[in-house]
Amino acid sequence: MTDDTALLAGQTWQELLARHSFIELDALGRATALLDPGSLRVLAGPFDRLESPWLVPQGITPQADDGTVIARGTVDGRPVVIASIEQGFQGGGTGEVSGAKISQALLLAAAESRAGTPTAAVILFETGGVRLQEANLGLNAVAEICSAVLDLRPLAPVIGVVAGTVGSFGGMSIAAGLCTRLIVTPQARIGLNGPAVIEQEGGIDEFDSGDRTLIWAVDGGEQRYATGLADDLVPDDANLLHAALVDAINAGVTVPGRHRSERLDVLASRLAILDPASPQDPRDLRTLWGREYEPVPVPASRRDGTTEKRSEPPTTRGRSWLRALSGDATPEPIIPSVLSATTDTARYLAVVPDPDNRFYRAREGQVGVTESLAIAQAVRSLVEADKDGEHKRAIVAVVDLPSQAYGRNEEMAGLHQAMAVATDAYHAARTAGHPVVAVVVGTALSGGFLTHGLQANQILALDDPGVEIHAMHKAAAARITLRTVDELDELAKTIVPMSYNVEGWAKLGFCDGLLKVENADAPTPHDIETVGAAIAAALERARVGPLNLSTRLDSDAAVTTRHASRAVRDLLARQWNPGP
Amino acid sequence: MQTLNYRFPAHQVASRAIHIGVVASGDLEILLQPPAAGDPSDSVVIRVRTSVNGFDTVWHDVLERFFTRTPLAGSWELNDFGATPGVVNLRLRQAAEAANGPTS
Repeated sequence: MTDDTALLAGQTWQELLARHSFIELDALGRATALLDPGSLRVLAGPFDRLESPWLVPQGITPQADDGTVIARGTVDGRPVVIASIEQGFQGGGTGEVSGAKISQALLLAAAESRAGTPTAAVILFETGGVRLQEANLGLNAVAEICSAVLDLRPLAPVIGVVAGTVGSFGGMSIAAGLCTRLIVTPQARIGLNGPAVIEQEGGIDEFDSGDRTLIWAVDGGEQRYATGLADDLVPDDANLLHAALVDAINAGVTVPGRHRSERLDVLASRLAILDPASPQDPRDLRTLWGREYEPVPVPASRRDGTTEKRSEPPTTRGRSWLRALSGDATPEPIIPSVLSATTDTARYLAVVPDPDNRFYRAREGQVGVTESLAIAQAVRSLVEADKDGEHKRAIVAVVDLPSQAYGRNEEMAGLHQAMAVATDAYHAARTAGHPVVAVVVGTALSGGFLTHGLQANQILALDDPGVEIHAMHKAAAARITLRTVDELDELAKTIVPMSYNVEGWAKLGFCDGLLKVENADAPTPHDIETVGAAIAAALERARVGPLNLSTRLDSDAAVTTRHASRAVRDLLARQWNPGP
Repeated sequence: MQTLNYRFPAHQVASRAIHIGVVASGDLEILLQPPAAGDPSDSVVIRVRTSVNGFDTVWHDVLERFFTRTPLAGSWELNDFGATPGVVNLRLRQAAEAANGPTS
C-alpha cells in the first residue's frame, strides 16, 4: 500500500465507513453479494458432501464443499455461474474436488452458451495456488481450469475478481490472466509465486516476504491495474464490485486476438525494456508500461536481447532429447533458453538452461517471462503457418524443466500473465486441430509444467528415476506444509497425487504412456526409436481424440484414481438445471 | 485429526438443514440435518472431526452443556480447525437459531 488513502480507491472516508465490505464476506456471502437478489442456487453444496478424498488420510479436517462454492444465478438479469473460492479453507488452495468444481462449471457454462443461452462465468480468486497435499491432482486441475476458461471465453465473458485478502497466487493466477476482464481491489494481490516462496527459493535479497510495502508494490491490485494487468480497480465495497461486474458482463466477450493473453506484441515490447541487471522500481513500471495494454516503444539498442559473449550451455536431457527426436531438423533458439526444431510433420519445443539469461532467476532452465513468450511465439507461428492447411502439424513439447522462475523481476513483470500467453497459445493450437504431445524426459515441476506441457492432448513420460513430475520440489513442499522430507516420502506411499516417482504419477489418469528407455540422459538409437514410435502413436490418438482435456477424466486410471473429479462432473451436470 | 462421536437426548426437531461456518483457522463448519421422516427424533447425533487431538473431554463438556439447553434432534457434523470453546458455542447457537428461525 503506498499511502493511507490508497485503500479508499477514490472513496471518501464517510463512504468507506458506510460501505458493505466484500472482503469480510465468506465465499458464499461473496457469491450472494454479486448475484441478483433471490437468484442464487448453490450447486454441489455442503450437503452433497463432495469433500476431498485426500485430506482425511493425511489427518487434515476437510470441508464439506471442499472450500469452493459454485452458484448459478443472474447478474442484472443475465445468466451467470460463479465459482467462489473460500480463502479461509486451506488458504484457498486448489485441490482435486475444488478444482474440478471450477473447471466443470466453466465447461457447463460453455455448453449452455453453445446451446443458445450465453452464460457468463465469474471466478472469485482467493488462493495460494495448488493445494500441496493434493499436489499433482491440484496441478492438473489448474490446467483443466485454464483450458475451460479458454473454451468458454469466446462464447461468454469470464470475469475474474480478486478482492483479497489472500489474493491470487500459483497456477490459478494463470487462469486469472486468461479472463476476459479482471476486477481487483487495492487489497488484492496477484502473482505467480508468492513472496514467501520466492524468499525461500531465492533468498531474502531476492524478495523480503516480510516487507509488505514491497509485496503490494509488486503484486498489489493498484499496481496491477496501473500497469494494465487488471481492468478495474474498485474499493472494497460489495455494491461497487457488483456494479463493476454488471459492466463487465454487459460488455460481453472480447474480440478474438485482443485478450491480454493473446497480445504477444505487448508482452514482447514490455519485456524488451525491462533490465533485470538494474532492477526497476515497481512504481516506474506505471509510467514505463502504462495502464493501456498496448505495445510500448522499444529503443533500438534493446531490440536484440542476446549478449555478445555466450557461455557454452550445459547438456541436459531436454536439449539431448529435442535433438534426438527431431532427427535431421536443426534445433534453433527462439531465444537461447527455448529451442525449436521443425520437421515436415512436427515442431519440437524445449526449455533449456541458458547460463547467460538476462533474467538470472531463469538460468537453469526454469520457465520465466521470456521463455513463456518464446513458447507462445513458436506455437502461434506454427498455428498461423498451418491456418489454411488441411493438415495441422503436430507440436511436441519436450519437457525437462526444474520449475518456473522464482524471482522479484519476474513477479514485477507479471509472470502469471506471461504464462497465460503460453497457455493460451498451446490451447489455441490444440483446439485448432494441431495434435499436441508432451513428453517428459526429466523434471516437470509446478508452473513450468503448466506452461509447457499440461495443455497437451497427450502426455508421455520416460519411466526413469530421473523423471519427476510434481507441484513443487520436495524440500520446498516439505517446508510449506510444515512436514519433514521423510514424512513427505512416507505420505507419498499412500497418497498417490503426492508421489514423487513417475509410476505414482502415471496412476492419476493423465499419463498416456510410460516409456522404458536404456539411457534417459543420452538416448540410444533404440531409445529414440521407442520414444519416437510412442510419440507417433500419441499423435495419432490426439488426431482422432477430443480437442478438450476430457480424456484425463475418462482414462482407465482416472476411473480408479479421479473418482472424486468424476463425481463432481456428474453431480454438477445433474444439478445444472433446477429440478422439477 | 481426531474423530469424536457423541449422542445426547433431544426433544425438539430442527425445521430444516443448516450449514454454518468455514473450516478456517480458529473456526469450524457445522452441518445440521433434521432427522429424516420416520427416523427417531429423540436424539442429537454428533460427529466432530477436529484438527487438534486430545480435547475429547472439552468437546464433550461444551457439547453436553449446549445440547442440554438446546435439545435439537438431528445429525450434527462439526468440521473443526482449532476453534476455541467460545467459537464452537457461537457456531452451534447460530446453527440452532437458523434451523428454527424464519426462512431467510
